[in-house]
Amino acid sequence: MREEHGNVAPIMISKGEDPGDVRTDVPYQLITILGNIYPWMTDGKKIAVVTRKCDEKALAEFFKRGYFDRSRVIQIGLACDKEQIGKCRCRDPVPSVVDIGEQQVALGTDALSDKLLEMSSEERLRFWEYQFRKCNKCFACTANCPVCFCDECVLEERTFVPEKGVPPGMSFHLIRAYHLSDKCIECGECERSCPAGIPLLTFRKLVAKDFREMYGFSPGDEKTISPLLTTLEGEPLDGDECDEC
Amino acid sequence: MRVSPWTEMSAMNVKHVLTTCPYCGTGCNFYLQVVEDKLIGVVPCKTDEISRGQLCIKGYNAHAFVQHPDRLKTPLVREHGELRQVSWDDALDRLAKEIARIKEKYGPDSIAFLASAKCTNEENYLFQKLARAAVHTNNVDHCARLCHASTVTGLLYSFGSGAMTNTIPEFGDADLILVTGSNTLEAHPIIGSHMLKALDAGARIVVVDPRDTPLSRLAHIRMSQNPGSDIAWINGMIKVIIDEGLADEEFIRTRTTDFDKLKGVVKEYTLEKVESIAGVKGEDLAKAARLYANAEKAMIAYAMGVTQHSNGTDIVMALANLAMVTGHLGKESTGLNPLRGQCNVQGACDAGGLPNLFPGYQRVDDEQARTRFEQAWGVKLPGSPGLTLTCAVNEAAVGKLKAMIVFGENIMVSDPDLTHVEDALKELELLAVVDIFPTETTKLAHIVLPAACYAEKDGTFTSTDRAVRLLRRAVNPPGEAMPDWRIACELAKRLGAKGFDFSSPAEVMDEMAKLTPIYGGIDHERIDREMIRWPCPTKDHKGTRILHAQKFTKGLGTFAPVHHSPPAESPSEEYPFILTTGRNLFQYHTGTMTRRSPKLERQAPEPYAEINKADAKGLGISEGDRIIVSSRRGSIALRARVTERIIPGAVFIPFHYSEAAANWLTNAALDPVSKIPELKVCAARIQKG
Repeated sequence: MREEHGNVAPIMISKGEDPGDVRTDVPYQLITILGNIYPWMTDGKKIAVVTRKCDEKALAEFFKRGYFDRSRVIQIGLACDKEQIGKCRCRDPVPSVVDIGEQQVALGTDALSDKLLEMSSEERLRFWEYQFRKCNKCFACTANCPVCFCDECVLEERTFVPEKGVPPGMSFHLIRAYHLSDKCIECGECERSCPAGIPLLTFRKLVAKDFREMYGFSPGDEKTISPLLTTLEGEPLDGDECDEC
Repeated sequence: MRVSPWTEMSAMNVKHVLTTCPYCGTGCNFYLQVVEDKLIGVVPCKTDEISRGQLCIKGYNAHAFVQHPDRLKTPLVREHGELRQVSWDDALDRLAKEIARIKEKYGPDSIAFLASAKCTNEENYLFQKLARAAVHTNNVDHCARLCHASTVTGLLYSFGSGAMTNTIPEFGDADLILVTGSNTLEAHPIIGSHMLKALDAGARIVVVDPRDTPLSRLAHIRMSQNPGSDIAWINGMIKVIIDEGLADEEFIRTRTTDFDKLKGVVKEYTLEKVESIAGVKGEDLAKAARLYANAEKAMIAYAMGVTQHSNGTDIVMALANLAMVTGHLGKESTGLNPLRGQCNVQGACDAGGLPNLFPGYQRVDDEQARTRFEQAWGVKLPGSPGLTLTCAVNEAAVGKLKAMIVFGENIMVSDPDLTHVEDALKELELLAVVDIFPTETTKLAHIVLPAACYAEKDGTFTSTDRAVRLLRRAVNPPGEAMPDWRIACELAKRLGAKGFDFSSPAEVMDEMAKLTPIYGGIDHERIDREMIRWPCPTKDHKGTRILHAQKFTKGLGTFAPVHHSPPAESPSEEYPFILTTGRNLFQYHTGTMTRRSPKLERQAPEPYAEINKADAKGLGISEGDRIIVSSRRGSIALRARVTERIIPGAVFIPFHYSEAAANWLTNAALDPVSKIPELKVCAARIQKG
């Protein structure tokens, strides 16, 4: 990122070019931006990208699925500052190699998650119903999400998300939650870019918590395989076999 | 994709170009993603004060139509009924020759120019200069006539300035927001998002609208008035405020005049009377009045639901009365805010694309102002106001107007009573259209010129909150298309006019700023770095966030005693429904851009009419049925959407769809002051198709 026109802009420069007034304090989602540009970058050149820890995890999800050629992407590790860690309620802020910034401690909790978990399920439902009623179907949560890379988006298909008007139904948000359950790296870009102020990062954190507790799985590691893809592979299922058929 | 010029030494050229959104008047800035000369996407600008890194679905798809294969790429001239490709020189020479011939034969006032709310300030400045200085007519107008003409006339009378009194981000800090005649979340989504921020922070929201909108469903008080009954409920609210001692007497005494006249008028608007006219519950109205009057920071937002009436000017003045009675003006997050609907409709008005006003709202019939422009431009200028867009169409229909030069408007979809518009345009000896796509209007044109779109040129748009925002060229125009400012200059030169030797939009802005006091301190270099809202009279002035802070632009605010009057057309036995028109979230205006953007078109691909469940049942109509909606002027076939989002007796049709354009039905009855047509109310009939 750099300062220009009185704003902070994402930029891409060639080798040897002066980067100008570099800024790293404005959280542009560079992996999403790279994801948009990558298919058009047909010159085969290497691309270096400033990566926070969450970005590093997002790249792992791309590499794992073969969407990016690992040898073309060079990571420049950025350690987020305290303020950003606070905004993201981030559990895991330090990149594997810190090239820019100083490493800071993680935050253990998300206050809103805790508050929601103390509510009854009816109260919790009411909370989310109010939040989702504000949704204006801008698709920012998908457009800006680094790991939202299905070839065809079911949210743009009329079975679950009819085209008539706004807000879309609850299914819009639940489908997204499910689709990202084994990919979301908690970068918070959906929440930052939501014009309705829906606390989408908290929504993701709650799903991630379940995934951790139920499957011992967290997205963002190139070596682990999503539990959503493994159930029918490998060892036979434990327990009694069905003897009704 | 163009062949990339990259070599071993240089990587592919990837740019993020900061520019201003071409859709509604919010003025969101974003980055266009460009690889080589190909537009591939949109990235929101996180540090932009207005959009804060957020956009609506139209913003995210603002790149999608730019490089569409349908773009007009060469000048076209009609010969033997067919449009034929010609060179720029040929097309411009013919156009200039035709204008000269018609001017010679019928006089300059037989020619009208339509400026464009889709073009930049610089271009609109040139369009009106072209009309006034090169052709010697004040016949220059644009689609503001169809949207906020009554705001300009109404608020000029009440306050002295017809623009938003506050800025968009201030909605986020208001305690109470009263929204009427604005489907804010669909038509101005990012302004809506600032309202949602206030809502989340505990603000109260009151929505008055005949339709249930995404915002009204979140509102604390929601009232559905009968279309065309606005003055009744507004006067009723004012009466409650006065009766209950909630008026701001100090403000009324020191800042306004004619309060007694208002008091005399509103006293007959009892809650019972209002209920009988407007159909809103007296109890709700009284509650809303108290909430509004007692709020510390209260904002009113309104749009077409207020302005597009045959008494639109009066309704706007009634809202101004409401704000003045409570003193809710001139302070942070406190004011009266018309939400302008096009990316540069504010600027097209500011730049003088109006038949009675020079740039900066200086009257053409004011001799002092005229002399200033005559001296600057070195020509004698006509002193009487020209024809409005709506009147120009009427004059064309009776053969008085002979030529129309249209810069970027699609009047064959956007204007009321299209049968009448079509007849009128066919009478013209010359119809020239400058546009980016073929449209229903270019189909009737004798000369069609291809223009560059927002992503292909420099210039400025002025957002609805008066911020002058830069467009920055991101890609090349297709084929031979040229920016409108160049086309206007080339045409003016061919008409023998002097003062059109501009080499960039920045130079045009420098000239405009010299002649437009509210833009006096604005130049491209300044606004490249800082956000400036007019009035900005000098280079060291920082611009103005809040209007009317110490005093009104005109000195004292004026209360206008206005009465309810029924719409021009009321339901009858033959036409028992009230038709009201508007936008939806996914399409934009006549659809030339959004309908060529796949993700937007997917969301709202075909024309529809919203009708109330009970009415549908009575007519035997179910969801998705083909129906025919007719008025005294025409019929269209489309699908029914059966809903409870509209009050019984009313039908809503979005006006985006040329295959079933709502404007075949609408009524061209005009507000006598502003000449805005009554697009929001006409009598209609619904039949099963």
